[in-house]
Amino acid sequence: MFGYHGQVLRIDLSTQQRVWEPLEEQVLHRFIGGIGLGTNLMYTSCPPGVEPFDPANPLIFVGSPLVGTRLTTSSKFAVLTKSPLTGCIGDSLSSSFMATELKKTGCDALILTGRSPFPCLLVINDDVVEFLDATPYLGLSTTATEHEIKAHLGHRTRVACIGPAGERLVRYASITNDGGRQAARTGPGAVMGSKNLKAIAVRGTRPVPVFDAKALHAIGTNLTQRSLGPATEKYRTLGTLANVAVFNRLGTLPTYNFQRSTFDEIEQVSGEALHQNHFVTNAHCANCTIGCEKILVTTDNGPKAQGRMEYESAFALGSLVGVANANTVIRASTLCDELGLDTISAGVTIAWAMECFEKGLLTLKDTGGLALRFGNDAALLACLQLIGERRGLGDLLAEGSRRASQRLGRGTEAWAMHVKGLEMPGYEPRSLKTMALGLAVSTRGACHNRSSSYEADFSSRVDRFQADVERGRLTMEGEDFSAVLDSLIWCKFLRKAFRDLYAESAAIYEHVTGWSMTAAELRQAGERINTLKKLFNIREGWRREDDTLPPRVLTETLPTGVAQGVGLTRADLDMMIQGYYSARGWTAEGLIPEQKLRELDVWDIVCTR
Amino acid sequence: MTLPCNMPSGTVNVQVELFSMARLVCGRSFLALDLPCDATLADVAHALVRACPALRGLAITTDGTGLLESYALNLNGRVFVTDTGVHLQQGDTLLLFSSQAGG
Repeated sequence: MFGYHGQVLRIDLSTQQRVWEPLEEQVLHRFIGGIGLGTNLMYTSCPPGVEPFDPANPLIFVGSPLVGTRLTTSSKFAVLTKSPLTGCIGDSLSSSFMATELKKTGCDALILTGRSPFPCLLVINDDVVEFLDATPYLGLSTTATEHEIKAHLGHRTRVACIGPAGERLVRYASITNDGGRQAARTGPGAVMGSKNLKAIAVRGTRPVPVFDAKALHAIGTNLTQRSLGPATEKYRTLGTLANVAVFNRLGTLPTYNFQRSTFDEIEQVSGEALHQNHFVTNAHCANCTIGCEKILVTTDNGPKAQGRMEYESAFALGSLVGVANANTVIRASTLCDELGLDTISAGVTIAWAMECFEKGLLTLKDTGGLALRFGNDAALLACLQLIGERRGLGDLLAEGSRRASQRLGRGTEAWAMHVKGLEMPGYEPRSLKTMALGLAVSTRGACHNRSSSYEADFSSRVDRFQADVERGRLTMEGEDFSAVLDSLIWCKFLRKAFRDLYAESAAIYEHVTGWSMTAAELRQAGERINTLKKLFNIREGWRREDDTLPPRVLTETLPTGVAQGVGLTRADLDMMIQGYYSARGWTAEGLIPEQKLRELDVWDIVCTR
Repeated sequence: MTLPCNMPSGTVNVQVELFSMARLVCGRSFLALDLPCDATLADVAHALVRACPALRGLAITTDGTGLLESYALNLNGRVFVTDTGVHLQQGDTLLLFSSQAGG
């Protein structure tokens, strides 16, 4: 077999049993790898109705056929589980050497179930699996955990770990690898913590051969050249931080917990200002020629903090919580990384709490004396620490905005900014109507990455302030495109370097695996993957009313900037949702007809579970 | 934006707001340009390079006639400018920023 090992490693942490199971060729061909293969494994491995923190909930790490080929941006892996935030399928991506090393151990996917009877460091060295005592690492930050494990096992060892937040089951805890790369959205780190698993350390010696190395080298060299051209300019220069000032000007920068879409103090925390005043260096994932990561450092007299910074962290820990001090934003982002927290969910949940405090629904007694107002730098940092340790108010906020608002009640659900329990990313849906639809229908909850629907809004193709039924087709196409990217797995920042993603990727897939693949088959694989994700959610209790947006979005208009007066009515959202269901060939209730399941060749999977 | 130009001179003064690397290489956040009311994208590109030569090769094509695919122009924060013409009015603002939207 080329490109794949053709097997998964299944480990029960409760019993320490490990089984190497074969993967059928037709499964690999239909679901590719990454998110696609992971979705298939989740559907077939996760007991229906299981609670996310139940030991039976699988935590799955999945590589892809491209991992190990040295194609640019291909060193990526997916992490899937039933999300403790959403109760839906939870899928995240991470990158770098962990991906290549995990694949070299001899498996295409690692499926973890059970719960270790002691704090566990799982070590996989080719065929050898060990369960070491992780007690010495408990309480350590993500950076310290990785450092200590490497010091113990050798510096070629690759480590994926959780921080204090994952140990304490903060529902939006991340899994961190390779010095700060993270699978964070939907909270896989909390599930890892629930399994009493502090870290996974891997070393391998079994690379997978490719079918036609010469052809792959030629196409890979060309792709690398394109990855250094205009298609990736933004990512190579300011990185995604370039979004901050532009989004503000376009009235799409969530501010003060989505009460506004512009931030008066934007010039202090813009990507341009951060670059000029705080930039240290660029960083790359393994086998990446783009180098989007911007390492920033604080410059004030406070404790030094240095780490990666990207747009989503800058918005969630900046304008959304009203913080205009760049040093605080950097410090907060770095703190999240060290605690092992998803910066988006952390920032959005704190923004909810700040609004509660300003409206008198949380008091100083509730916050332990923190004046949790928008723009209070010290309160933001203190709150993050409390969340990571689940102390005081942090114990409530560790539950995420949906559960916290349900627990507090008194109408605070109205400004808990989440979809299906996953906190909103930095794209204001009222002034980005295609994105609004993408957020509402995503199987992952409020996710910008699984549809990239904003692409249409930031173009001349649509009027981003107006809703129309055609957004359904655009969102569907974006989702299927993203599913292919996330399954092969390519970095999304490479997407514009392709002249035709499907045709070029199909050719590359053939060179890697030796198996026939057409552009049309690859496109259909994207549809199949999204369909199976939806089927998973339906099985776990999805209802039509779950495809929606927070009440604030549907009842308040934007008060400032170029989008002043712009809103989104429920009728307009429902119209777009119907357009989406129709484009997908689903029923008006969002269910999937048997004919569609047969057409996509997933009927057999549904019938067996 | 199809309103007729109402300036007797047939030209308008517009402001260009610079973002991303365009702001950093030009060393300022705004440029003022005099443009024909019915300016084409090529007219805008020419004027931008005259005002800030460092934009050539970064945001503007090396022949100075168009935008590189890595940059976008937006009129007044509402309309993305295409090569079919801009239809400018006095006081309009053009935004020049990286076209890759994600992150």
